[in-house]
Amino acid sequence: MKNPILEAKGISKSFGNIKALDDVDFFLEKGIIHGLLGENGAGKSSLMNILSGIYIPEKGTLTINGQLIKRLNPDLASSYGIGMVHQEFRLIDSFSIKDNLTLSKSNIYQNDFSEAFSKYSDIFALNLNAMTPVSELSVGEKQKVEIMKLIFHNSSIMLLDEPTAVLTPQETVQLKESLETLSQEDEKTIVLITHKLKEIKDFTETIYVMKNGKMVAKDLDTKTVSDTQLIELMMGEVKTSKFDKNNFKGDTKLEAVDISFTNEQNIKTLQNVSLEIKSGEVLGVAGVSGNGQVELANIICGIIKDFEGRVIVKTKDVTGKGVKSRKKLNLSYIPENRLGVGLAPGVSVLDNSAIKEYFQASFGPHLSKNVLLNSLNDLINKFSIKAPDVKAEISTLSGGNMQKLLMGRELISNPDVIIAAQPTRGLDVSAVDSIHNLIIDQRDKGSAILLISEDLDELFKLSDRLIVMYEGKVITEIETELATVENIGLAMAGINE
Amino acid sequence: MKLKELKMIDIQFLGLVNATLQAATLLFIAALGELIAEKSGVLNLGVEGMISIGAVSGFITAINTENLFLSIIVGIVSASLFSSIHAFVTVILKQDQTVSGLILTILGLSLSSLIGKKYVGKKLNTKLEGVFDIENPSNILEIILAQNIIFYIAIILMIVTAFVLKRTMFGRRIEAIGEDLKSADSMGLKIGKTQFIATCVGGAFAGLSGVYLTLSYVPYWTDGMTSGRGWIALALVIFGGWKPYRTAFGALLFGFLEALGPRLQTYGFEMSPYIVKITPYVITILVLIILTILKNGNTGAPKNIGIPFFRENR
Amino acid sequence: MNKFLLSKKLYRNELATFYSFLIGFLIAIIVGSIILLIQSKNPFDVFSLMLKLSIGSVNSLSNSLNKAIPLILAGLGIAIINSVKLWNIGAEGQIFFGAIALNFVYINTSIENSYLYIFLLLASGFIGGSVCILLPALSKVLFGVNEIITTLLTNYIVFGLTIYLINGVWKDPNSLNFPAAAYVSESVYLPTVFGKLSSGFLICILFTLIAYYIKDKSVFGYEMRIAGGSALTAIYAGISAKQKAFIAMLIGGGFAGLAGAIELLSQTHRVSTGISQGFGYTAIIVAAITGMRPLGIFLVGSLFGALAIGGSVIQTIGVSSYISDIIQATTLFGALIAQFFFSYEIKRVKDD
Repeated sequence: MKNPILEAKGISKSFGNIKALDDVDFFLEKGIIHGLLGENGAGKSSLMNILSGIYIPEKGTLTINGQLIKRLNPDLASSYGIGMVHQEFRLIDSFSIKDNLTLSKSNIYQNDFSEAFSKYSDIFALNLNAMTPVSELSVGEKQKVEIMKLIFHNSSIMLLDEPTAVLTPQETVQLKESLETLSQEDEKTIVLITHKLKEIKDFTETIYVMKNGKMVAKDLDTKTVSDTQLIELMMGEVKTSKFDKNNFKGDTKLEAVDISFTNEQNIKTLQNVSLEIKSGEVLGVAGVSGNGQVELANIICGIIKDFEGRVIVKTKDVTGKGVKSRKKLNLSYIPENRLGVGLAPGVSVLDNSAIKEYFQASFGPHLSKNVLLNSLNDLINKFSIKAPDVKAEISTLSGGNMQKLLMGRELISNPDVIIAAQPTRGLDVSAVDSIHNLIIDQRDKGSAILLISEDLDELFKLSDRLIVMYEGKVITEIETELATVENIGLAMAGINE
Repeated sequence: MKLKELKMIDIQFLGLVNATLQAATLLFIAALGELIAEKSGVLNLGVEGMISIGAVSGFITAINTENLFLSIIVGIVSASLFSSIHAFVTVILKQDQTVSGLILTILGLSLSSLIGKKYVGKKLNTKLEGVFDIENPSNILEIILAQNIIFYIAIILMIVTAFVLKRTMFGRRIEAIGEDLKSADSMGLKIGKTQFIATCVGGAFAGLSGVYLTLSYVPYWTDGMTSGRGWIALALVIFGGWKPYRTAFGALLFGFLEALGPRLQTYGFEMSPYIVKITPYVITILVLIILTILKNGNTGAPKNIGIPFFRENR
Repeated sequence: MNKFLLSKKLYRNELATFYSFLIGFLIAIIVGSIILLIQSKNPFDVFSLMLKLSIGSVNSLSNSLNKAIPLILAGLGIAIINSVKLWNIGAEGQIFFGAIALNFVYINTSIENSYLYIFLLLASGFIGGSVCILLPALSKVLFGVNEIITTLLTNYIVFGLTIYLINGVWKDPNSLNFPAAAYVSESVYLPTVFGKLSSGFLICILFTLIAYYIKDKSVFGYEMRIAGGSALTAIYAGISAKQKAFIAMLIGGGFAGLAGAIELLSQTHRVSTGISQGFGYTAIIVAAITGMRPLGIFLVGSLFGALAIGGSVIQTIGVSSYISDIIQATTLFGALIAQFFFSYEIKRVKDD
């Protein structure tokens, strides 16, 4: 590397017993667009949080502009010119574009705002009056203002977290051009953080790849590296399944017929999705998150009711019915959002352990704490959950134990149908293993399982069949034996031969 | 004969206008202070207590020194210092704003009763005089001109506050914090400092309102004489949709209803004055409900009001 | 330059609320002593007199506990409503409305059996409290109107209504100087159990247990906790958060209404402005300081009742009764400060 503007060496950071970053090196060169590729949970966000001063690393050094930084904090980071665009925008909706751009004390265009604004409006092809309230902007326009905000704050190193996730194809092309101009004319250093292959190839000049908290490839030349290479780096070698796939499949237990859904923002998030799962079968749903998986799960589980199509559980049509109708048919849902949906924050471990079937512990209006405690102890023993104090808040458990509690709670009743979304995200290896075993056990007991995951390893290991979702549609359906990292990876990127 | 009758009605009417303006001034200043604090994201339910502290400390100073200017300053400063308890507990220690504000009211009421005990029933020899020397005002203009200095300060504060919040960097930053803590933080704004100052400014305004109460509105001191005006001030902020001018309009409306109560019978209405007294509260609730329905749950409240800000570095 | 970094503690001491209360109370006593010293009174003398006159004899103890009844009941109501993370600032109004509802029923009915009658009157007090919170509750669950402001404004409406009634249709012609409604018949007075202690205190114990049961032992309490914890989890679990909030508010209002009914039948014996002396507000302190725990509310409510009695009797030696209000409020402020240190860790970081 020639003359890096930012140099991170040997960065390590762990949360509890999970190593989020393990001896990571990262270099940025001035005026270049860098790509940082990796699956969810690979450590990309942790690395970015360290660069922007939010996390303090346990080991490693950070050099910016040749100066060794001892301890970074968010204010210091921005004074060094490091700025970040988060996935959830940091814009004040009720304020005008101008206010959002200029309120910061580090704004460098205090006196010549209109010139600067028109200059960058040109670069971003933003055709708006500066006094327009942000709330009236489209998502793509907000994105542009968000990036402009960094420029106004005099950021020379711009970290963009999944910027294209919310953009239309046309907007994506537009963004690419704008970023190129910025890097060439203003010599901005840009990092594009993404798990989308196509964009990293289109946008960047050099690529870094992370997997499991490690930097597995540094400074790859975008021009020469191939898709297959990147997929292999990002997803690693897929281990052959240690699980027996000669499982017996029985009657159809879950059927979703021709499901379409338009959300509150009037975006069609699901289009004509159909699927069918038999007893003793695992159907894996691959896809980059945000392609309709959450909506599909919520529809099957009765949380979303205003959709088109039909949901049939154990030959019973439950379309239009609520959560309780599914519970009666012994359907379990392990939602993607553990704390906040599956578990209620601020509420005790004991209370959280009973959310699925608390009424089983009721006698009229009375809720028997003993019954709850006994079933929790069952859960703790059966699923080896470490819960030092069951009356303490749920957040006192580690991520792995939270997930085991959630899984255990949903599985202990031997459900006929299981919907599991990202069941192992963010967990350490041993926790992942035990959760995989739980799913297979349940399969062998005759459950029909819908497994939504972004982790190809997991999908290949557990599923009998795979479908790939892209932009609300099922674009590929394939037996796991016939699936390869390449054909699934490409389908996930929307490339379908 | 007819002329005389007309004259009577005239005087009654002017009396009503005068009383309306005075009641409105009192409510408005406190509401404006609360508006500033809430714009920065701090809900302070302690307005009633702060007014009370301002009222009693201003009154005691006036009795002892007969220096009205000094009394006003003492009232403002002591209420502002008092409000810093709320700022400390909620902004620095990040405790629940609802609980802290409520207790501020209870503490303020009891503390001012304690301090003012010796002064109950004492009458002030001096009183805030009108800015312009008008003996017997005979039309609305003269009524307005006959108001005292605090009335004019209130008008100036209204214009200045509206201007600062809408047009200046400083004001926009306060508003940015109340709207969206995370975004404001990403802009590098000093959240704790701003909220602390805004809360104390709110306290100072409440103090001024309190001084107006004991030095002009009813020039004596008695326990619980704030009689819920702090709570109306809180409601006024909502009524006014967190906008200074609309809040002023609300204050005039409430002031009018307060002034109308005891005068109803002279106008030949059969309505009980007690019922008239509760109409402002009923109207506020109804307005609140209607506003919430019309705006689909968005009443114009700062979006991050009441949320303690905490940025975790780990 | 030194900087301070804050982080949330993962484990909070289980007794943190209790310790915070003790620390807060200690701070309050110190503040109270300083105020007394400024007034050149000996704090030790004053506090020991307060102690003696509030719990030193059967009579004074029963006075204290009588005073505690409305604080405890209204506090319990606030705690039940807070299970769904909503605030009831309207307990003061609900107390008055409970008394008004009681009087309304009393005027329009007549039952021979006085126990049955008392029961009916207490029930109407409870229902009155629920009716009083109906508008805030409906506007909250239907439209999302801020319940803090609506419950609070209701206080002033109900207080105004009380004054209207006792100066108008209900005015007792025999009470010339002090506007009030006519006394209820002695046959419906709540009997005393020992000393001057009203049997209302037994009702209070019963309702403490009921509140404890609802919050900690019932299916409804469980559903309220989940709904209060996370709206999304409630949806996921098939629990209607709005329905729970609505019912919780009606029950909570009822508790305060019952307090008003007991106050009327055991203390004032008629509707007057004396039905509540800010009990509904003090109850908020009581509930908040205990972290909304029913048994804690019972204990702290009793303590605050004693404080109030102690405060009112020391007036005879020229000390303002407000000293006890100040101690109550300062206790909560002190407790809030202590809570901070139980829930946050402060690290000092050297900047170089």
